[in-house]
Amino acid sequence: MRVAVFRWKAVVPLLVLGGVVLGLWLVFADGIARRTAESVGTTLIGAEVEIERLHLDFPHGRVEIHGLTVASPFAALQNLLQAEALVADLEPLPLLEKKLVIDRLTATGLRFGTPRLTDGRTGGQADGVMGQVTRWGEQLQVPGLALPTGKISAARLDPAQLTTPRAAAALGARADSARQAWDSQLKGLHVDATADSARRMAERLRGAKATDVTLLGDARRTLGQLKQAQDRVTALERSATSGIAALQSGAAGLTDAKQRDYATARGLLKLPGLDAPDIGAALFGSAAVERFQRALYWVELGRRYMPPGLLPRATPGPTRARRAGATVRFPQANGEPAFLLKTAELSVQLGAAGTAPRTYAASVSGVTSDPALYGRPAIASAAAPGFRLGALLDHVRPTPRDTATASLAGVALPPLSLPSLPIRLEPGAGTLALSLAVQGDEVRARWTMQSDRVRWTRDSSGAATSSPTGDLVWRVVSGIPTLAVSASLTGSLARPQLAVSSNLDRALAERLRAVAGAELAAAERRVRAQVDSLVDGQVAPVLAKVTALGGDVTRRLGGERTQLDDARKALEQRLRELTRLPGVRLP
Amino acid sequence: MLVLKLLQSLFKALHSEGTPGQLAAGLALGSILGLTPLWNLHNAVVFALIIVLNVSFAGAMLGWALFVPVGFLLDPAFDWIGRTLLLETPALRPLWTALYNAPVVPLTSFNNTIVLGSLVVAAALWVPLFLASRWGVVRYRATVAERVRRSALYRSVVASKLYNLYRLFRPEA
Repeated sequence: MRVAVFRWKAVVPLLVLGGVVLGLWLVFADGIARRTAESVGTTLIGAEVEIERLHLDFPHGRVEIHGLTVASPFAALQNLLQAEALVADLEPLPLLEKKLVIDRLTATGLRFGTPRLTDGRTGGQADGVMGQVTRWGEQLQVPGLALPTGKISAARLDPAQLTTPRAAAALGARADSARQAWDSQLKGLHVDATADSARRMAERLRGAKATDVTLLGDARRTLGQLKQAQDRVTALERSATSGIAALQSGAAGLTDAKQRDYATARGLLKLPGLDAPDIGAALFGSAAVERFQRALYWVELGRRYMPPGLLPRATPGPTRARRAGATVRFPQANGEPAFLLKTAELSVQLGAAGTAPRTYAASVSGVTSDPALYGRPAIASAAAPGFRLGALLDHVRPTPRDTATASLAGVALPPLSLPSLPIRLEPGAGTLALSLAVQGDEVRARWTMQSDRVRWTRDSSGAATSSPTGDLVWRVVSGIPTLAVSASLTGSLARPQLAVSSNLDRALAERLRAVAGAELAAAERRVRAQVDSLVDGQVAPVLAKVTALGGDVTRRLGGERTQLDDARKALEQRLRELTRLPGVRLP
Repeated sequence: MLVLKLLQSLFKALHSEGTPGQLAAGLALGSILGLTPLWNLHNAVVFALIIVLNVSFAGAMLGWALFVPVGFLLDPAFDWIGRTLLLETPALRPLWTALYNAPVVPLTSFNNTIVLGSLVVAAALWVPLFLASRWGVVRYRATVAERVRRSALYRSVVASKLYNLYRLFRPEA
């Protein structure tokens, strides 16, 4: 039996079914596109994207979106932006390649940072970027605010750490050694014997005649011995004087050693860090890191969805009952990018604190999933009185380069709670500025916040309770009416370095130093007394020994010299009496 | 209800007037619907083939129903196959690049690892599945079909309203 290949009678029902499906799709296309746009947007941003109404205008190749709300991926009850209407003119042919090329997008009624009732943050694909940025922020060590609490602690002073006792012992040994040497040398001079010999010679000369040549010769020899003894005493005196001076210098060195020991003991005092930058980082570091994290989140998101180069790129597939898998894009040189927003004209509503919002213009161009195909960087710019924004995402070359700068004056600055202190800062209206440059892996960013009329409040309901530290900080900061904070980020993304400073730093640091100064002086007195108690008992006997040695040697040498001088004087007197005879001359 | 539908499909397919080849072809085509993610352009083509070609519609529904759980179970394998073909086979990259940048083809989502992996497996299984199921239907009809046809269960199933719907798409002799 031959079986027909085609079931011709089913062709018409099939065509009807196809027509019905097409009709249903056209009827529900707006809803399908709206849900798809919400889903894709939510996945991209990492926060809820809600659209009130979306209309596909097929004849004009246009998409109209009304009531767009994009939740903030950072704050629970805040929107990133809201737009009253967006109209996108599409190029139809790329749609056949499942590519979206928007010639021109106009957005009206854009508002930023509006409040919302529910938490719009979601997990998903962007969660990887958020997690990455969160981990990045955690490596930026924000120091805690370590203020003195009235007590300065000191580590135990180990006597072995002190140098004075060792120096004193060495000096004592040197003094003993010198005393022994000088004693020995004094004995070796035989001054008594020489003086006695001279005195006896003088007695012999008393009854002698000038013609007794032998006796006169003996007298001359004795006189020569006296002179030699005097010379030896003089040499010993010189040596002793030098030795005593060295010992006295050693004694003075003990005073220096004691000063060093004081310094060692002071080094054992544990003082809090009172440098201004530390305080700035402690007070505003977290806020600065949060701002840098937000900026970096968009940079990383841009790099993920606008990567350089033309290599195949895998992204998570669509959410469905089956496993999502990965969807791979294969960009082709000279082909259309998978997504391209050529130009966008935005009507932004901004208002200074306490004033009605005004409408300003902004523009965006060159946002594409394949910058290498488009060949131009993505640019965003906006300018209005008190507001300036410029951003350039250049992913055309292999090394991406992202720069952005924004400043907003007269804006209501967000309140800050000082970490671990029951103090809240309400900056009021002020100026915010952020500049960021990320080239490859190198980052350079700066965030500043200025306000002329800040308000400080004590938060009695928070977890942080009142403390001496909190009271001290409160007394200092509550009298400061202005605020100027500057935070900078440098280095590589893998090893960033954060530096924060503010005008509060110096005021707070000076006050803290004053408070800490009194306690520091008392602590220093305590450690000096401790050093004195360990050192003085060993130093005083040595100093006394050196002093006594100097006096003793000087006295003894003086006695020896006097003895020799007297003997010489007497001998010379006797000889002069003998030589008064005419014709006799003393040699 | 699902089990009842499955039974109806099974009975209607096995006891239809269609040849074993028609039944096996329908089942093999239906297996593509089951193995691959349903809402894709290629499945519209497969569905159109099931309607237009003179194959067993019940067999196709049976194949779809039978292979849906298999598809879920094999998703990790499909993902691996698709990833290997799309990302880890440089020789195929020019082909994928050309297809990705050709009109209409990207609408099939061939560049999704699950879609491509499951479609490749379904295509590879089509002929073996066709041959095996044709042999199975022949054996069934030659051995136990008559006894089943006389059973109360069979009569109750074929008497349901769904059977009338099936008759619209039963294979033509």
